[in-house]
Amino acid sequence: MARNGAFAAIAIAALVAVPFVAPHAEYALDVLFLIFLYGAMATAWNLVGGFAGQVSFGHAAFLGIGAYATAIMTQNGISLWISVPVSALLAGAYSLVIGIPAFRLRGPYFSIATIGIGEATRLIARNWSSLTGGVSGLTLSSAPPLLLQYFAALALLVAAVGLAAWIRASRFGYALAAVRQDTDAAETLGVATTVAKTQALFLSACILGVAGSVYALHYLFVSPDSVFGFSTSIALVIMPIIGGLGTVTGPLIGAVIYTFIREQLAATLANVDLLAFGVLLIAIVVFEPRGILGIADRIRRMRKPPAVTVPDG
Amino acid sequence: MSYGLALIYGVLKIINLANAGFLMLGAYVTWWLFTAYHVDPLLAPLVIIPVFFLIGVGLERTLVRRVLGSEPIISLLLLFGVWLVLQNLAYVIWTGDTRSIENSFIESTVKLGGLQLSIPRLYVFAMGVLSLIALQLFLTRTYLGRAIRATAQDRDAARLVGVDVDRVMGIAFGIGIALAGFGGSLLSLLFSFTPDFGRVLSLKSFCIVVLGGLDSIVGVAFGSVALAIAEAFGVRYMPASMQDLISFVVLVVVLVALPKGIVGTLRSLRRG
Repeated sequence: MARNGAFAAIAIAALVAVPFVAPHAEYALDVLFLIFLYGAMATAWNLVGGFAGQVSFGHAAFLGIGAYATAIMTQNGISLWISVPVSALLAGAYSLVIGIPAFRLRGPYFSIATIGIGEATRLIARNWSSLTGGVSGLTLSSAPPLLLQYFAALALLVAAVGLAAWIRASRFGYALAAVRQDTDAAETLGVATTVAKTQALFLSACILGVAGSVYALHYLFVSPDSVFGFSTSIALVIMPIIGGLGTVTGPLIGAVIYTFIREQLAATLANVDLLAFGVLLIAIVVFEPRGILGIADRIRRMRKPPAVTVPDG
Repeated sequence: MSYGLALIYGVLKIINLANAGFLMLGAYVTWWLFTAYHVDPLLAPLVIIPVFFLIGVGLERTLVRRVLGSEPIISLLLLFGVWLVLQNLAYVIWTGDTRSIENSFIESTVKLGGLQLSIPRLYVFAMGVLSLIALQLFLTRTYLGRAIRATAQDRDAARLVGVDVDRVMGIAFGIGIALAGFGGSLLSLLFSFTPDFGRVLSLKSFCIVVLGGLDSIVGVAFGSVALAIAEAFGVRYMPASMQDLISFVVLVVVLVALPKGIVGTLRSLRRG
């Protein structure tokens, strides 16, 4: 654990140093920014989808609410110090509105309901024109400097990963793992499963709300089909699975791979990137459901003589 | 198309998210046969049903079977991946342009006692009812159909009485995919479509299947009618662009409030 902490500290220090060492490498900073943002979003999704095993296909809703809340407040001249926390809380509040009914559903039924919830949210955003500007969306006039965006995204990522690492080692994390493995057994053992799931969803939604703020301030444009779009929800599902579901570092690895593949393929032909992710998703689910971390684990075991294997929790 | 979903769910106990992909593919194949080879869209199902059946069996053999033993969420994700591949393959091959099939049949109407009825709509409705009847007969009157139902009820018990469960599951999956393709082909007669075609419809299928009860064919028919009525009434009170919203709201409400579906709830009421 201490080794992980030291490693994380070095990584953070290196990433903080990047803009000062290479201030003009704007493309690289932009890619890193995206990795931080996606990494934070994937980590947030993973709290619910990985730790608690409740796969959500509607997480774009929280990102969208955060993005719209920040965009609307910024247009009305409200300071970011107020609008960003409010965005997070609005997304969190929405998660309670949908989480309390949706968590009465188990496993796959919950997943299907989240598709419906995500789509319903998008349609509301499209049609509530007086608030959201309808299909054409909202435009912001000026962006904070790239450097500030870079550090904001990095701070969000560090906070999200720190939260995930803390949850995983905490009593709360064990409760979520118990929910994932066997909800009935967890309930029998005295875990308040619905409360635990709802809390995980709330935290996840708050992180996504802030990610939405960062998104809105970076792109200066929010529309129902971008932030509330189904492809955003898909990206949030794919990243943690590529890296390793229910782990702390998995979503980060997934975000790095996702961002690179997207940057490489999005320029060539539309939708080739999603096609590649579909193939990747099938391959991972069939051959190694634990993702890249699972593959790394296998390689490590092949090199070492098999000792006592400890099942991970 | 909802029947296919119910069948696959009942027999394999997995939820086929790839249904949307095959629905869309059915529409595109119909369009492609029509524009490239001038095949009558009404004849396209003759090609689609067997081909999609074989694809379904193949998919079950190669991919789905490997994950049947693991947590339900894994198979959900696998089929989600299949859907992503199908949908984006369609974007790459056919681009995102809206396609539609146009010929004299599509525009024909018939006057029936003062009502102007579109013939394709009547045709699609008739085919829907026919396929429901055919499926119900198949499931209740043939050996294979009974084997499928037995497997759906209890896989282990079916194996004990000598049902080749592995083969049955492959066939059930194949039929489900074939029905999705058939449904897509029929719908291409009524609507224009893009590679994203299946998503909303597939959510509606989920809604219908859940509404009807997840393993009952008659329930699925009930569910379709109920959703259609809810949508038709809803449109009178809100803009048409919100129509799809109704299905999603119904879906979520039904999932939460009546997890056993209409038929299941009636059954337990009768018992209780």
